[in-house]
Amino acid sequence: MTSSAPSSPHFTACVSRDQATFRCWWSEGSFHNLSQPGALRVFYRYKKNSPWKECPEYIHSNKECFFDSNHTTIWTSCCVQLRSHDNVTYFNTEHCFSVENIVRPDPPVAVNWTLLGVSPYGLHYDVIVTWDPPASADVSMGWMSLAYEVQYRRWNSSEWTVVEVQGGTQQTLYGLNVEEEYEVHIRSRMKAFTKFGGYSDSIFIQLANYPGRESIFPVALVLGILAVVILLMLLLFSQQQRLTLLLLPPVPTPKIKGIDSEMLKKGKFEELNFILSGGGMGSSCTPLFYQDEPLVDCIELDPLDPADTGDKGGQSSEAQRLIGGRQASGRPTVGGLSHTLSFCDEDDDSVVGDPPNQDALWTLLTTPSPSPTSALLLPGQPELKQGFPGGRDPDPSLAHDGAPRPQAWLNTDFYAQVSDVMPSGGVVLSPGQQLRAQESTAAREGQKEKEEEEPEQQFQLVVMAADPVGDGYTTDAMNWQTGVVNGYHTLPAESVGDVIAPSVAVKSAEDYQPSYILPDASPTPARYLPPVSDYTIVQEVDYQHSLILNPPPPQAPAHQCLPLHPLKPLTPMPVGYITPDLLGSITP
Amino acid sequence: MQKNKKDEWSFAWLGALCLVLRTPTDTVRAAPICDNGQASCQVLSLADLFDRVIQHSSRMHGMSNDLHSQFEQYFLPSRNHISNRVNRNCHTSGILTPNGKENAQRLAVKELTEVILKLLWAWRDPLWHFHQSMAHHDDFNSFSSNKALVMGDLVHELRTGVEKVAEKMQNLGIISNLVNGLRSPEQLLPSPVRPQWSLMNDYDLLFCLRRDSNKVQSYLKILKCRIVPENDC
Repeated sequence: MTSSAPSSPHFTACVSRDQATFRCWWSEGSFHNLSQPGALRVFYRYKKNSPWKECPEYIHSNKECFFDSNHTTIWTSCCVQLRSHDNVTYFNTEHCFSVENIVRPDPPVAVNWTLLGVSPYGLHYDVIVTWDPPASADVSMGWMSLAYEVQYRRWNSSEWTVVEVQGGTQQTLYGLNVEEEYEVHIRSRMKAFTKFGGYSDSIFIQLANYPGRESIFPVALVLGILAVVILLMLLLFSQQQRLTLLLLPPVPTPKIKGIDSEMLKKGKFEELNFILSGGGMGSSCTPLFYQDEPLVDCIELDPLDPADTGDKGGQSSEAQRLIGGRQASGRPTVGGLSHTLSFCDEDDDSVVGDPPNQDALWTLLTTPSPSPTSALLLPGQPELKQGFPGGRDPDPSLAHDGAPRPQAWLNTDFYAQVSDVMPSGGVVLSPGQQLRAQESTAAREGQKEKEEEEPEQQFQLVVMAADPVGDGYTTDAMNWQTGVVNGYHTLPAESVGDVIAPSVAVKSAEDYQPSYILPDASPTPARYLPPVSDYTIVQEVDYQHSLILNPPPPQAPAHQCLPLHPLKPLTPMPVGYITPDLLGSITP
Repeated sequence: MQKNKKDEWSFAWLGALCLVLRTPTDTVRAAPICDNGQASCQVLSLADLFDRVIQHSSRMHGMSNDLHSQFEQYFLPSRNHISNRVNRNCHTSGILTPNGKENAQRLAVKELTEVILKLLWAWRDPLWHFHQSMAHHDDFNSFSSNKALVMGDLVHELRTGVEKVAEKMQNLGIISNLVNGLRSPEQLLPSPVRPQWSLMNDYDLLFCLRRDSNKVQSYLKILKCRIVPENDC
C-alpha cells in the first residue's frame, strides 16, 4: 500500500517467546536506500539514565535483533531505537516495553485427539484433544504458566469455534457430527496476559462409518410396525363381536312349529289375524258354545273297492271310534275307503255311508304307505270342481299343481292331514284352519247346494277346527253341523254323500289349538276319543312301546275370546307329526 | 420488643452468613499451619505449602492484571498498549529484585525469600488506600472496587503464607534466621528516593501492582524448584 506520507524506519514487532529472550524486527519504511544490511542500527537501553547499547546480535537477513538472556531484563521497561549507520538518530520514536508484556509463547506441540464417546443414536460424538506445551516455554519450573485456546471448525465452514483452556493440556470437544470432518488448531498465551502466540499445525478429526448408526433405522421401523400390529389386534379384540356379526352374519335358523314366519313377514299377518279372529264375522267374542257338542256330525266316505279294504274290516269300529261322531256307534263300520262313512243323523239326506267306509280314514292313517301313484291333491284342483257340492268353486287362491301359490300359503296349513287317498292315487288333505274359515261362508252355500245334490256321492272331507281360542270356529261349527264344508277334493268316484270327515285342527300356526272330534259333551268311551289333533306329537314311547302322545291343551272356556295374536306365545308343541309310516311302526 | 428480638436474630444470621461467605472468590485458603507440639492439626509438607502459596500468588497476579486492564479500558481507552510509559517509578523500585530468570536462580534462597517478603509487605498499605479511593469513584464499577478489596486480602494471606514457608524452611535448616526488620517500611528505599505511594496515581499503582505480583509469582516458583526438587526443575 502506498501512503502519501513517507514512513520512516520503524520497529515492526518485538516478541519474546520464553520470557527470557526477545527479538525485534524493523523495517526501513520508504527509505529504500537503507535496506542494505548495516544501514540501520538498533540501540537499546533499560533505564532512563543508562547509556544506549547496540543490539547484541543482528540477523540482517531478517532485519531482526535478538536479545539473549544476558541482555534481557524482565520487569523493567526496555526501549529500543533505530539509528542510521553514522549514528545519527534519525528516528526519534522509541519503542518501549516491558519484556513480560511482549511474551507470545510458541504454539503447543504434539496435538492429538481420542474418541471419548458416541451418542446413542450414532449421530454425534465427543473427542478429547491433547497437546504438549511448547518446548521453549519453561513450564515445568513454572517460569511460565500457559493458557491455551483451542479452535475447531467444520472443514467447509469459515467460522471457528473457540474454547478457552485455562490450565491443563487437554480439552474435550462435545457434539461433533458423525461423518463430518473437523479442523482443530491451538495457540497459547501467558496466564494473566493477553498476547497469544501462533497457531499450531491443524489436525483433522473425522469419525467415519460408525457401525451403530445404520442399524438404528431398521430397528425403529420394526418397532413401529410392531406397535401398529399390536394396536390393530387390540382393536380387533375389542370389536370382536361386531366384526363377527359383520363377517359372519347369523344364519337364519328354521323356526316355526306352525305358521311359517315368512307368512307373517310378508304381511299376511292381518289375514292371519283376520282368519283367526273369526274371519271378519264381526263377532270378536263369540262363545264357544259348541264346545261340548260334537263338531263333526257326519263323516262320509265314498265306497271303494272292497278289495282294498277287505283286510281292514276289523278296524272299522276303531275308525268309527276314532272318527267319532254322534252316531258312530250306531253305524255299521266302514270297511274301506270306498265306503262312505256317515255319522250324520241330523244331516239331511246327505248322509250316505257304508260303515265299512268308516275305516277309510283310519285305514289311511294306518296304511304303511300310500299308493305310490297317489298324487297329492290339494284343494283347488280342477277335479275338485266336480266333487264340490253345487259346484262350488274351490278357493281360487289355492294352487292347482300341488305347489301352493304364495297366496295359498296362507290358506294351506303348514302341515295338512291326509284325510283320504283317492283310488287314482291322489291324497286328500284336510285343509287348514284358514281355509275352513274362509270357506265357512262357502260352506253355507255348499250346504244348500248339497241338499240339492243329495244323491251325489261325494267324498267330502270337512275339517273343522274346534279352537277354543279362536272364536271364529263356533260359527263354522254351526254351519258345519248342517252341511259340509268342503274345502278340498272330493273323490270323483260316486260319492255317497257328503262326508264330514272328522275335522282335526291343522296346526298351521303355532297358536292353534288342536281340534278334536267331540260329538258329545260327555264323551263316551266308545266314541269319544280324547281330543287328538291331526298330528300329535309323540312325547315318548313307554316300555310297552306305546306312544304317549302330547295331549292337546285343554279346551279353554267357551267364553274365552282372546284375540288371536300370531305373535302370542303359543303352547309349546314340539314340531312333528305322525306320518303313516311312523304310525304303523309304532302302533302296539 | 419482639420485633427487636427478631431483628437481632436476623442480624445474627446475616452476620454468620457473611462470615461463611466472606471472600467468595478466595477458594484457596491457607489451612491453619500447626504450631509445634500440637498433635491434632494437620501437618503440611513444605511442598504442599509451596503449592498453596504459589496458587495464591497466581490468583493475586491474575486479579491485579484484571484490575489494571479494566482501569485502562475504563479511564484510558485511547492508550497504546505497546508504548508503555517509560520508567514508571514504582514505590517498590528500590527493592533489589532479580530481573531475570537466571538472576533469580543464582540468588540465594534466603535472599530470594526476603525479597518476596519485602515486596509483599510493601503493598499492604497502598492497597488499602487504593480500595478507599476506588470506593469514592462513582464511575468506577463496584466490581473493580470489590476486586481491590479482595486484592488486599489476597496480598495479606500470601504474605502470611510466605512467612510460614520461611518459618518452615528455617525449622528445616534450609535457611538461617531471616532478617527481622522485614516488616518495617524502613527496609525499603531511603525516604528521599522512594516515591511516596500516596503520590502515585491509581493507574500507576495498578501498573506497579501488576508487575510486582508477577515478580512474586515467578520468585516463588523458582524458590520451590530449588528447594523441593522435582522432575524438570
